Amino acid sequence: MDMIYLVFLIFLSGAVISWLAGKVNHVLQDILFLASVIVPSVLFYMNVSVGQEVHFKAGGIDLSWGITDFGWIFSLIVLGLGVLAAIYSVGFMKGKERRGYFYFNYVLSIMSMLGILFSKDFVSFFIFWEIMTWSSYLMVIYNGKHTQSIGIKYFIFSAIGAYAMLMAIVISHSVTGNFMIADLITAYPVLSFNLQVLIPVLLLTGFGVKTAIMPLHVWAPGAYSNSPMAFTSVFSGALSKMGVYGLSIVMLSMISHLPEGFWFREVLAWMGAVTAATGTLWAIKQDDAKKLLAYSSVAQLGYIVTGIAIGTELSILAGLFLAVMHAIFKSTLFMAVGAIERQTGTTNFTEVTGLIRKMPWTFLASLMSIIALAGIPPLGGFVGKWMLYESLITSDHYMLIILVFFSSTAAFLYCYKFLFGFFLGQEEKEWAHVKEAPVLMVIPMLVLAGLSFVLGTFPGLLLKPIDAGMQALGFAPTNQHLWDTSILFNSWGNQVALQPILYAILAIFVVFTIFLTIKGYKNTRYVTTKDISSSGEVPKEHENLTFSVNFFQPFLRAVEPVMRRQIDKYYNGFANGLEALFDFTRKIYTGNGQTYAIYVILFLIIMLLMKNNIFG
Amino acid sequence: MDSIWYKILGAVVSFIVAFIVGMTYMGLSRKITARVQNRKGPPFYQNFIDAMKLYSKSTAIHHGLMQHFGPAFIMVSSIMTLMIVPVLNDGKWFPNLNFDGDLIFLLYIMVFGPLGMALGAGQTGNPNSAIGVTRGLSQMVGFEIPWVMALVALMMQFKTTSIIDLMEVQAQSGTWLMFSSPFAFIAAVLAMLGMFRYSPFDIVGAPTELASGPVSENGGKYLFTLMSSGAVFAFAKLTLYVDLFMGGADNLIVLLLKTFAIYLIPMLYGVVSPRYRTEQAIRYFWGWPTFFGLLAILHAVFF
Repeated sequence: MDMIYLVFLIFLSGAVISWLAGKVNHVLQDILFLASVIVPSVLFYMNVSVGQEVHFKAGGIDLSWGITDFGWIFSLIVLGLGVLAAIYSVGFMKGKERRGYFYFNYVLSIMSMLGILFSKDFVSFFIFWEIMTWSSYLMVIYNGKHTQSIGIKYFIFSAIGAYAMLMAIVISHSVTGNFMIADLITAYPVLSFNLQVLIPVLLLTGFGVKTAIMPLHVWAPGAYSNSPMAFTSVFSGALSKMGVYGLSIVMLSMISHLPEGFWFREVLAWMGAVTAATGTLWAIKQDDAKKLLAYSSVAQLGYIVTGIAIGTELSILAGLFLAVMHAIFKSTLFMAVGAIERQTGTTNFTEVTGLIRKMPWTFLASLMSIIALAGIPPLGGFVGKWMLYESLITSDHYMLIILVFFSSTAAFLYCYKFLFGFFLGQEEKEWAHVKEAPVLMVIPMLVLAGLSFVLGTFPGLLLKPIDAGMQALGFAPTNQHLWDTSILFNSWGNQVALQPILYAILAIFVVFTIFLTIKGYKNTRYVTTKDISSSGEVPKEHENLTFSVNFFQPFLRAVEPVMRRQIDKYYNGFANGLEALFDFTRKIYTGNGQTYAIYVILFLIIMLLMKNNIFG
Repeated sequence: MDSIWYKILGAVVSFIVAFIVGMTYMGLSRKITARVQNRKGPPFYQNFIDAMKLYSKSTAIHHGLMQHFGPAFIMVSSIMTLMIVPVLNDGKWFPNLNFDGDLIFLLYIMVFGPLGMALGAGQTGNPNSAIGVTRGLSQMVGFEIPWVMALVALMMQFKTTSIIDLMEVQAQSGTWLMFSSPFAFIAAVLAMLGMFRYSPFDIVGAPTELASGPVSENGGKYLFTLMSSGAVFAFAKLTLYVDLFMGGADNLIVLLLKTFAIYLIPMLYGVVSPRYRTEQAIRYFWGWPTFFGLLAILHAVFF
């Protein structure tokens, strides 16, 4: 049997077995769950090589699975994050109900994502896509809360995306005569102009829903914050990247052959930038950490879409690098929120404060990820941001760069809100009992945070597979002229060398830490956060001086005109309009037999009156 | 003479120069403000006395590790900014790291410190500190827009993102960018008002309102480090403006003259202006400064 079948078989049987094992023993269940994620991942990297393919027939349709260099980049996200988040999940789910349900859907969603990367034909692509949607939908309603408002919203948008995709698949079948993705790509340049526009638009609608681009993003904040945090790290980190995967293929191997593709790319790039800006502003407004990170995910995916849509070598590198970086730091942050939720029972900034001394490792992981998110050197986010800006400047997108820059500067606000809200500020007695999260939860966070640190100085490690993936899509090699192991270039020849920067930062930091610490830290004593100079008075023990309500109110006042418009309101208006229409139909179909009798009689009367005209 | 030790020595020398110059400028600004307000004012070397006093004080308390590291974080940002900005034109005397970074890197390293400092300020638990930080970050979103617009205009016009290349352009053409790209200069200078946090944009420290804001729980060595970092950062920013818009400087005397001329703008603007509220400050930068930024970009694209 081919190794590819084995990988999927283990995933599938592991999902079922780890569900059923819960009836026997919880420890056994945890071990089986971990095995059913880790074993196929290891098998995949050990035994499946790029270019290996399997073919088979199902229902008279030729199906074909195999992985390309481009899919391999995303497999790093799916399986790497999948394994780490699985370890985290075991700690997270300890003592929780319905673990079998969680494990089952978790393994299935990892399998379906890998399946999407393996699919070389539209049929298996669509089937895996739907498995992914279903398993994530079941995760969204895991809590049993808000199934109506959030679950249905996610499902409706996924369905819209799926129908659009299905339509595109049917059209492509009518054009090429089979379901192979490669055949559509080869046939694409000679299609009629209408089809050349229609097929990408339909496909992008499908992918855009998962990527949560404006205006298809409204499901994301609710769905991300409502699923259990252990899954949300995969949901926002990996699952949304499947949209990026599809979108990149459409943009890079179809639209780039279109003479009019310029406008297409511009529109999509602007949509990405607008998504980034509005997502950031809404993130600043949130008081719930889950919501904040959810909006921030929407915003970050906006950058990725912009990068890929611009379509120059550097911008695609930037987009894909940011995609991997986003998977790393955003999943860490969701994990941190999950740890805090588990230890304190709440994720609201206005309730919980001052955890830094109680959960130091969670703080460290969050700090690193936040620095990476904000794009501050020397962490990995900076590399992606730098490449994105340079690509925007060198390709003459001068207005776009202002918008992107605005949103990434405004991102500092919610970054600080996240760290301050949870970890800093006044330490209250209410949270004195809080302990650090279990080791199983802390280790994946620290591994991911360490990864974003390494990639900040040696981005070449990641850019190498990305470069290979881009070559598979027909780009020229970019090594040496756009990047080296730890140097980045733009197309004008300017560069930034990351190693000297890291060493300089470390040297300065160490020197001044020593300067401050000698005759400083040792000789001084720690005082609590109540021992402060607040207008010359020492606050009493019971006085709560925490500043967390209306944290950025002055800023929100300044941007208030922009925030007044919500896309949600338009959708709700549309839904209300539909409901009014249904109400009207309800007046006709009253459900009363007597009314229907009258209809029949009226119909007969009309027929009688009109009989000369009709039968004449 | 290209060894690493030579470079480190040069970096230390430029740090000391920046410290002395920055401190003197801050002292002069106190003097000038006092004269405008018809007071006598402290002597121009008063800041050195203050710094020495703070340095020699021993600290009794701390508020935890983040607060302890806060001043070191902000120092990293100030010195890295100084390292990226070429101090003098020929680069022989102050061989900084400037070939390793460009303007985009500079924009980001400049916010590294304030964010680290903000974390330190957060750990003290003083509500005034946190309020100051939120104001500072909000104001930063305000002034970064015209500032980035000005930089984008320059980068687009000369097809480079490196500071050294922009200085080269000015040396070759013989004119300063201040005159050849006037709109970019105006936008950048208006953005600088926010960057220097003099009145009316002193909403972060906000004397008598927030009790000096983020730094309020720091004393002794911590405050000394913060103060010297402020001095170094001010010098680095002024030098950056001179490099970008006034053709750099050939020797220290010229550099001092040019930087002081630039420094007078935010200072004198501040002396006669009362403090804005935060949202007013943000909106200020999104008004005329952004308009000039747009003009600068149009100018760069069409001319």
